[in-house]
Amino acid sequence: MIDARSLQVLANFCNAAADAMAYTLMRTAHSAFVKETEDFSCQIVTREGLAFGNPRHLGAPWYSGVDYGGLLASFPAYAPGDICITNDPEAGNVATHTPDIHIWKPVFHEGEIACFVVGHIHNTDVGGAVPASLSRSLSEIVQEGVRIPPVKLIEQGVENPYIAKLIRANVRLPEQNLGDLAAQIASVNIGERKMGEIIRRFGFETFLQGVEAILDHAEAQARQALSKVPDGEYFFADYADEDSPEGLPARVALTLRVQGDAVELDYSGTDPQLGSSLNMPTGGRERHALVMVGLTYVLGTLSPGIWLNAGTLRAARAVLPEGTMVNAAPGAAVGMRSLTCALTQIVTQGAFAQALPALMPAAAPGGNAIMNIRTAARNGRPAMASIGPVGGGGGATPFADGGDGAGGTTGFLRNTPIEISEAEVPIHFLRYGLEPDSGAPGRWRGGLSAVMEFRVSAPETVVTARNRNRSIMAAWGLQGAGAAGVSRFVKNPGQAGEVNLGNTDLVRCGPGDVIRVVGPGAGGWGDPFSRPPELVAADVRRGAVSPERAAADYGVVLRGGTVDMPATEALRAAPRPAPETISHGPERRVFEAVWTRARYDLLTAFLAGQPVSWRFYLKHRVFEAVAAAPDAPPEPQMREIFARLCARYGLDAPA
Amino acid sequence: MGYRIGVDVGGSFTDFAVLDETSGEMLALKVFSRPEEPGAEILAGLAALAERDGVTPAQVGYFTHGTTVGVNTVIQRSGPKLALFATAGFEDVLEVARLKIPEINNLYSRRPAPLIPRERVFGIAERIGADGKPQRAPGRADVAAHLAEAQARGAEGVVIAFLHAYRNPAHEDAVRAMLAELAPGLPVVTSSGTWPVIREYERSVTAVISGYVQPQVANYLDRFEAALAEAGVGVPAHITKSNGGVMALDQARAEPVQMILSGTASGVIGAGHLARHCGFDRILSLDIGGTSADVAVILDGVPQFGTGELIGEFQIHIPSVAVTSVGQGGGSVAALDGLGVLKVGPESAGSTPGPACYGRGGTRPTVTDAMAAANLIGHGALGYGAVSVDHGAARAAIAPLAEGLGATVEEVAASIVEIAVSSMYAEISGLISRFGIDPREFHLFAFGGAGAMLACFVARELDMKGVVVPPRPGVISALGGVIADLRNDFIRTLFLDLDEAGVRALAAPLAELEETGRAWLAEQGHDGPAAISVSADMRYAGQSFEIEAPLEAGWIAAGNAGAIAQAFHAEHDRLFGHANPHAPVQLVNLRLVVSGPTPKPAIPRPAPAEGPAMPERHVTGWFDGLAHEVPLYQRADLRPGHRLAGPAIVGQEDTTTVLPPDFALEVDAFGNLVLTRAPRA
Repeated sequence: MIDARSLQVLANFCNAAADAMAYTLMRTAHSAFVKETEDFSCQIVTREGLAFGNPRHLGAPWYSGVDYGGLLASFPAYAPGDICITNDPEAGNVATHTPDIHIWKPVFHEGEIACFVVGHIHNTDVGGAVPASLSRSLSEIVQEGVRIPPVKLIEQGVENPYIAKLIRANVRLPEQNLGDLAAQIASVNIGERKMGEIIRRFGFETFLQGVEAILDHAEAQARQALSKVPDGEYFFADYADEDSPEGLPARVALTLRVQGDAVELDYSGTDPQLGSSLNMPTGGRERHALVMVGLTYVLGTLSPGIWLNAGTLRAARAVLPEGTMVNAAPGAAVGMRSLTCALTQIVTQGAFAQALPALMPAAAPGGNAIMNIRTAARNGRPAMASIGPVGGGGGATPFADGGDGAGGTTGFLRNTPIEISEAEVPIHFLRYGLEPDSGAPGRWRGGLSAVMEFRVSAPETVVTARNRNRSIMAAWGLQGAGAAGVSRFVKNPGQAGEVNLGNTDLVRCGPGDVIRVVGPGAGGWGDPFSRPPELVAADVRRGAVSPERAAADYGVVLRGGTVDMPATEALRAAPRPAPETISHGPERRVFEAVWTRARYDLLTAFLAGQPVSWRFYLKHRVFEAVAAAPDAPPEPQMREIFARLCARYGLDAPA
Repeated sequence: MGYRIGVDVGGSFTDFAVLDETSGEMLALKVFSRPEEPGAEILAGLAALAERDGVTPAQVGYFTHGTTVGVNTVIQRSGPKLALFATAGFEDVLEVARLKIPEINNLYSRRPAPLIPRERVFGIAERIGADGKPQRAPGRADVAAHLAEAQARGAEGVVIAFLHAYRNPAHEDAVRAMLAELAPGLPVVTSSGTWPVIREYERSVTAVISGYVQPQVANYLDRFEAALAEAGVGVPAHITKSNGGVMALDQARAEPVQMILSGTASGVIGAGHLARHCGFDRILSLDIGGTSADVAVILDGVPQFGTGELIGEFQIHIPSVAVTSVGQGGGSVAALDGLGVLKVGPESAGSTPGPACYGRGGTRPTVTDAMAAANLIGHGALGYGAVSVDHGAARAAIAPLAEGLGATVEEVAASIVEIAVSSMYAEISGLISRFGIDPREFHLFAFGGAGAMLACFVARELDMKGVVVPPRPGVISALGGVIADLRNDFIRTLFLDLDEAGVRALAAPLAELEETGRAWLAEQGHDGPAAISVSADMRYAGQSFEIEAPLEAGWIAAGNAGAIAQAFHAEHDRLFGHANPHAPVQLVNLRLVVSGPTPKPAIPRPAPAEGPAMPERHVTGWFDGLAHEVPLYQRADLRPGHRLAGPAIVGQEDTTTVLPPDFALEVDAFGNLVLTRAPRA
């Protein structure tokens, strides 16, 4: 019997088994994704598919509460020695884009299944229309590479050779995929052995009972944390800059309902699924790991040391309307779902910030640009390299400045050393570091953004900034802090041929071209005029804030590096607009002056009544119509637009 | 013939290991550490050795020393104000680090503040390319201006770390020379002079730590040297290193970063040496102190090496003995969480206030208290009489937990031990997976104050072959210093394709490394034979990480690219289970290790048993919450050939060995206690 005295013992053993799987994976995997960015997961899941054992320090932090139920049900029966594989987001909604290859293996004890050992690796390439398989511009999942429906890769210890042939025939770097797959197999085999030992140590029945106790304890911890959140309904929305290349903003909306020790995450109001690849294939599952990441962060912050597993999520359920960005219908492209997932984290933080204003930090801006370069070496040989993420800092907290360069929900990424990048590809870096004045002002300052600038030396060079966002709409601040600056992507800055690349994520370059990327700023916390002047002076000394911004944003006047108190007091006493609880950047203010919440609600209701395949198209037509007459009274205008569109396209008019 | 002495200064105690070169006998001594008066513990120990054992300073023929003064400087952030001169455009190298935050699920988490704040980082207008070619030379006026500003901002020393200095140190050296003229006597450290490896953050932070610990280490070494002279020790002392070797005192002053992890490294060297001599080829060393447990993998007496060991909040990137530190020790605190579930650690009562049963102000129950409440320790003075155990205080500290859990004190004590052991299990099994070893072939070699107390419980969970407790578990680190070789690492980053032209380009750097290595050995005062080993860090073109494979020098001389590539393929296959013999290989670093062997003591064989082992008395001890009559033995009474069945307790002045009911004990020919799980009846 596992009880309050022995619960941590079983949990330690199970987490150790997951650790062993992760270490084995890292030791034997081939690709940089595993070794440098740790984009993989390993779990121990119940017979029903609920994760109860996770690595403590390794792997991507999004999957601690994953539910493999949809995949486990792919087969009517399992035998010892089976290992199953899929990367199909439409099968069981566990894989969430095609590069994520998941495998799972049953752990038997005396003829009965005790649990499953599972995991995934983000493969660098799984074929499809573009190298690395991911691009915002793709519009159908069939463009995103080979899909392997759930199949037994190994059946009772005998490998199905067709799977390796299928992979080899469809991907760009088959040795890397197959090397990583071998690592995954080694990983689940280690997991199976470790779990077998644990089950024998505790006994089958005790183990099963103990696993439930682990899930129950995590649930109780989560509920205890949530019971301290005031009951109520909290709405928050945020936007991806573009729903397609040169497109419109794409909104993710969340109504957080807190009641007692439980929460509901209602994503109604989120935009219809897109004709680009920013869709999330959740299948509408109410505890899908991808829509719960933000909640996991909030709980991990409110209760450090909380156990994170599928039990954690029992206190929550999500509402994911079908045919929206957070629950795309089959067929939709989903490759860049990480950009949208970052938005779900941001709106979750925004909603909790209203419920717990004294505790929640401003959100990290999301939209970390994953920089890749394809160029040619001096000998003409093609050279490709991932030269690291360039993103914003962490949002300011109620107690401290945000982390510089990375923090909050984007703090798990590692960078690539400049010396490694320069040794691998013939580019010359001019700058890598932190961008002054990029952290939003506040009583506590948002973290500074990263900046990267480099010169290209070969023709036909392609630079991609995948996952970049927030070059139009800035990250928000809290409790009177300022909003942040936006991300910038510029070719040949300060030169005659300077090109502002706007929100694009790909640019072609030739010898001598210089590329500069600045991550989006992170929001501040609290009124910047209440920031102690000596902290502002220290920021100026270290180059984080310019003297001009110190005066303009913080009302602090410096003379010879020290604070001029009379001038500062005078500046701070001057009249100014009242600080807002949540402050947005100018682009969002302009947008929301037209697209009010009420107007957006009308759009959401209208689109929800139309066929999924029409919604993205209709959204664009409605936006065009509104843009033609932005000052008309919204309700009659929207009804008129909807009626006109329905008549024109022969669609059912709204009720 | 005289004596060889190794001294290891720890937080609470200083251990002396004394080897009698005539008899091969080993003496041990423990005195209190005196952090407030460095050198005093050395004088106290030498005086005690003279009085107790008749070992006079004049008879000391060799002296090694390890200290934690460098680590403490970093942990307490008590080093000097330094300035960093970085390549212009890359001044944020310390601030950005490798981006990742320490706690990825906590929105409040931030990277630790660098040891050099940003306002004392200056960008020097200079650049060297990835190919090592200078592109823009540093200018004297630029350097002078930045130096003036640095000094105006309080800088007491300068660290120079430029891009690609691993490939070409010319600019770092040039700026160092300018600083020597501009500010004679100002301490200056360069990244290429510290450890010239590719990856700018790792190289820079290592140089910063080196500069940061330098003044305190140098000051400490001065006082240490003065203490030795005062005592009349006539031989130059050696200092133990993070790489498991030793170096002369002057090198320690110049490169203090080399000694920063010397205490843990010496322990592993000592354990490896002893274990191998006693016939244990595969061991995991387990050193459990008050706040942590250090574990290392040792094959045939040789530890694993790595870089990236943690010093306070920072990783340091010089070759070090690879040790995994687990945040569980004798002082880990047990408590009920908000939902009434029993948790142990990560909080530790440390040595102050310490476990409740030590009666030094601690009131919260620790793992040591759980062992005391189970009546398994504390039946004689511990720590050479420095500590006595109050069993009542241990039980009283655990009683509130027992009440909360509705269980007996003994049951809760058993649970506390079980949880602490399961945490150690979790960390050690990670280490096992990382190195890909099979624990069933390994013995757990237990030392440190609490190693032997918990070793059987840990070995049982890991399903290991057995446990070895050496005769004097308290002096393993000091012993490691005595037997360590002079040893230094050299590296040259080359980043070349391993083809015919590439391998031809290896000969000159190898010759230079070898020359430097031999010169180093001569500087340490070594006139015996030198052992040289060569290896290379290689990877498949396009891979983002390197692995080290040993090379034969002859391959380079013969231009044999095939043999070098084959060594890489073989190592890749061994580590990863696959290799690709047709893929092009890149050679990133060429490495050379030079060592000068020092004499090794014979391991004494105590007189064998004459008659059965007799317990001193019996006590009532609790295992898994059940009472047992447990015989209590004194270590001195256990002789080679003795065998015991569990349960049993073996006391000695520096540790207590606990033998659970399902274990059996045998004393081997060297006096080690070898504990194995008894086959189930």
